[in-house]
Amino acid sequence: MNASLLAGLVGAALVGLGLYGLIAHPHPLRKLLAFNLVGSGVFLVFGVVARRGAAAGYAFDPVPQAMVITGIVVAFAASALAVALILRLAVASGGVSLDPQGPAGRDAGEME
Amino acid sequence: MIEALLVATLAAPAIFLAAGFVGSWRTRALVWQFLAPAPALAAGVFGLSHAPVSVDFRGLGLSLTLDPPGALLLAFAALLWMAVTAALWRDGAPDARFGISWILTMFGGLGVFIAGDLVSFYLLYALVSVPAYGLFAFSEDAEKRRAGAIYMAFALFGEALLLMAFALLAAGEPHGSVRIADVMAALPVSPWRDAIIALIVAGFGMKLGLVPFNGWMPLNYAAAPIPAAAVLSGAGVKAGVIGLIRFLPLDVAMESWGNALAALGFFTAFYGAAIGLTQQKPKTILAYSSISQMGVIAAALGLGLAAGDAGASGTMAFYGANHLLVKAALFLTLGFVASGARLSGLSLALAAALALSLAGLPFTGGALAKLASKAQFATGWPALLATLSSIASAMLMTHFLMSLTALPADAAQEARRETPAVLIRFWPALVLGALLLPWFFADAPGDALSLGKIWEGFWPVAVGVVAVFGWRRMGRSAPVVPAGDAIVLYECAFARTIALGPVFETADARLRQWPAAAASLLLIVLALLVAASI
Amino acid sequence: MTATPATTPGGFLLVLAVLLPAGGVLLSFVLGGRAAGKIALGLTPVGFGLACLVAMKVAAAGAPIAYAIGGLPPPLGIALRADGVSAVMMVAAAIIVAASAFYARAKFVMPEGAPESRGALTFWIMIQAIWAALNLIFVGGDLFNLYVALELLTFAAVPLVCIDGRPETLRAALRYLLFALFGSVSYLLGVALLYGLYGALDISLLAQRVEAAPMVWTAAALMTAGLLAKTALFPLHLWLPPAHANAPAAASAVLSGLVVKGSFFLALRLWFYVLPGLPTAAPSVVLGALGALAVLFGSVLALRQARLKLLVAYSTVAQIGYLFFVFPLAAGAHVWSPLGWSGGLMQVLAHAFAKAAMFLAAGLVAEALGHDRIAGFTGAARALPLTFLTLGLGGLSLMGLPPSGGFEAKWLMLRASAASGQWLWSLPILGGGLLAGGYVYRILAPALADGEVEIKARPQRSREAVALGLAVLALALAFAPRGFFDFLEIGRPSVSRSAP
Repeated sequence: MNASLLAGLVGAALVGLGLYGLIAHPHPLRKLLAFNLVGSGVFLVFGVVARRGAAAGYAFDPVPQAMVITGIVVAFAASALAVALILRLAVASGGVSLDPQGPAGRDAGEME
Repeated sequence: MIEALLVATLAAPAIFLAAGFVGSWRTRALVWQFLAPAPALAAGVFGLSHAPVSVDFRGLGLSLTLDPPGALLLAFAALLWMAVTAALWRDGAPDARFGISWILTMFGGLGVFIAGDLVSFYLLYALVSVPAYGLFAFSEDAEKRRAGAIYMAFALFGEALLLMAFALLAAGEPHGSVRIADVMAALPVSPWRDAIIALIVAGFGMKLGLVPFNGWMPLNYAAAPIPAAAVLSGAGVKAGVIGLIRFLPLDVAMESWGNALAALGFFTAFYGAAIGLTQQKPKTILAYSSISQMGVIAAALGLGLAAGDAGASGTMAFYGANHLLVKAALFLTLGFVASGARLSGLSLALAAALALSLAGLPFTGGALAKLASKAQFATGWPALLATLSSIASAMLMTHFLMSLTALPADAAQEARRETPAVLIRFWPALVLGALLLPWFFADAPGDALSLGKIWEGFWPVAVGVVAVFGWRRMGRSAPVVPAGDAIVLYECAFARTIALGPVFETADARLRQWPAAAASLLLIVLALLVAASI
Repeated sequence: MTATPATTPGGFLLVLAVLLPAGGVLLSFVLGGRAAGKIALGLTPVGFGLACLVAMKVAAAGAPIAYAIGGLPPPLGIALRADGVSAVMMVAAAIIVAASAFYARAKFVMPEGAPESRGALTFWIMIQAIWAALNLIFVGGDLFNLYVALELLTFAAVPLVCIDGRPETLRAALRYLLFALFGSVSYLLGVALLYGLYGALDISLLAQRVEAAPMVWTAAALMTAGLLAKTALFPLHLWLPPAHANAPAAASAVLSGLVVKGSFFLALRLWFYVLPGLPTAAPSVVLGALGALAVLFGSVLALRQARLKLLVAYSTVAQIGYLFFVFPLAAGAHVWSPLGWSGGLMQVLAHAFAKAAMFLAAGLVAEALGHDRIAGFTGAARALPLTFLTLGLGGLSLMGLPPSGGFEAKWLMLRASAASGQWLWSLPILGGGLLAGGYVYRILAPALADGEVEIKARPQRSREAVALGLAVLALALAFAPRGFFDFLEIGRPSVSRSAP
């Protein structure tokens, strides 16, 4: 097993875990973590692409690395925005739930 | 010259509409808007005496066309619009919603006769259909709202069918032209020929009230105030007639389609008369009479299609033009009778002549219309059915005259309130106009005065009148049929469909849960992959 | 767009179009809330002028204009490229942003002396950020660069949803953000795969290199699904109705009119600019089928809403469905493809203007009546004639009745469906129009009927005029001359390599 394959497998596992989190966990914070897992998996795929030098013909292609760095910044910004929203929601309603009409969440009583 | 007239036909109502939105011009625009159909009248009269013309405005993609059938209907419609508009606004200003709906309907109701390409025809046809809602349905009265909702449903459904038909027509034209003349030339070889004709018949059939699309018309006319009912039943419905004339390939013999349309038309003619005889309200009876008459027109056009007889367009335009004047005048007659004006022998005779004109009474315009229709109803079963439909019309119109004499007080009061005083004052002149005007536009009016023709026109009318009196004398009463007949069933079916709404709501709520939405995301990836690999 | 030189004359205009609102964002941060409104409002005419200038350059050249950032041509550098579609979308975006900003003055411009509000600062900054992101999406030529633009668009759109800080708006914003994030990560994965295959992300370079390989389809499926999540195509619309219905009206107009079109635009880029040489008929049918379901569900749900803004939001779900008929109707290089393409783009524009107008009008109704319950509208048209005229004209376009851009779009799409023999698409196109007629009727019929409503606050004439202006634009699209559709074809790859 070479490094590329390992990275690829780990990436796939992370994406799978993240997707499970997306589907199964109702809490927004968990969904945010799931997003970061999927994101990390995708970044690993970029790593594999860089390692293989892609079609660009380099031994180590620097472009995917640049993209990963950009991607990490974007994912960080996204996480920060989401956490800020979750905090605001917790302060404003005393509970955090994404469900607009269901009974879940302590703030159900405040809704329209 | 003719170009200018055609442009002015469209421009004049548009200018009055625009002026209505400018505060300081509004009052003047409304008072003078009866002049808006004047260019249409001029264009119509011009077109009757000249060869067909077609004007293209390439930059706008607009094409206008004037041929004798369109010109005749245009001229008569313009006259009607002018008379009713002048009277209505002389009598006091209806409110803004009504005014805007009125001029929009007028715009469409005139323009549809000269539209020369698919897009402008569709636009003008939509204008004569949709804004008419505003002429009767803005009301707190539940029955009027019901009528409005049903009217709108039929109008929009008809529009949808026609849009599909027009799209198929355009797709069948090899050079991408949307001029009606070009697409119709390509129709006989179009791969979608049958679908197009079915859609055309169904789409315009909704406007004409052909069975089973007839139910909206009685509700509409009963809800509409008399002036609105006069222009809608007179000029508005003729948009459907011109539609069939323009979009049926009359010069190509298509026997099965033609016979099918003829059968549908005749069925509608008798069905309308039969249901009309069970009704008590004059407006409803007139609506069923319209259904019946439009059935006759559809039947004649169907026979024309079966025989490949392009002349049917001219004769049916004349038949339609006569109906245009007579039906409008009949609605005004209701207002006249309700006004409590003293009914002299002369006015009774006028009213009877007008009503029986629809059955082809000799010396009326109706006799000429019937004579013209002989071209299609010459021999065989069509001739027999045409004669029977004259009898049925005579019965229905006798029934209408009787219903006028037994008008309930509240109905009379409402009719009186709705009818502009000018129209009541000039009622005899209007009726005479409606009876005599067709004589100036008929091909060979002298033929109608031969003794044979007079007898041929007279006896079905007499039979029909006598039959109704005999029926009454025997004390038989008609079964009770709700106005709009089958519409009640449609409403039930519609209510059932509406009841499906919560199912969608539940499904939507489920799909909008996170697990479902996230799973959908994955499924879409899979579906795209599978689709790409097959 | 194969032989475009790296930078064409006028290419710097594209950089300006992106940097102008981005600069506005930075300046607003520095100078604070009171200045932010003035900056945003001041920039709108300049941005509009720039967009028009781009359109004129494209029209004059008859070919896309391009700019290679840093003088470095692709594949290493990043290109900005504006073709006919980009230019038209930029102009539309400038108009709608300008209209929304002008409309929002009443709510978000702070008078001297009053304390600065966080909401106002957020609004002015985010609307400029949306504008910058949209312009970047419209001119971006590099798929990764477009990913960043797409994320910027989402990050700018989310705060607009929850500007007033009520729990339900925060919840809507959070739903929106989280779901959009999964969409973008799916898109990113597709980008990684494509780069791994071809070592390039420039759209025109990829278009020359792609072949019908399983990995390409995987990448395309992942990217498309991600974009659909951000476009809220049924059944991925869980976030849209609460988000669009709860945002302030000016924000809803931009969100519904423009933001969802951003990700849709990228889907167009993917299928019609990157993959046009491949056999895309079958996946196109999947996209069209989802569109048909969206039309059905969105319209039926719109019919059942009790509140005007929710009705308008669900109508967006339905109208988004219409957009996706462009995939089956414009695919390949057939005689009918240009009809489908024109129809799809016309639908994008008509819906953008009509929906923006309707959301602005819905905001005015809510302010004037103090509620937006449709059951309470009886007689409201007499009290608010201009506003309901706007709703009516916008509704006309949604129903697809002439004269309106919506009609033009339907007419073109129907002709394409007839000419291509794919007549099944005409059923949802026409049926959706009937259902739209139903929900427009639901708004207008009671409003136009006799009755009295209590007016809490009379709306400003200027704001009513802005909304009406957008609706009139949606109508004016019906009179688009032939040259307009030719313009939309500028830069669209000629599908010479098309297999079937």
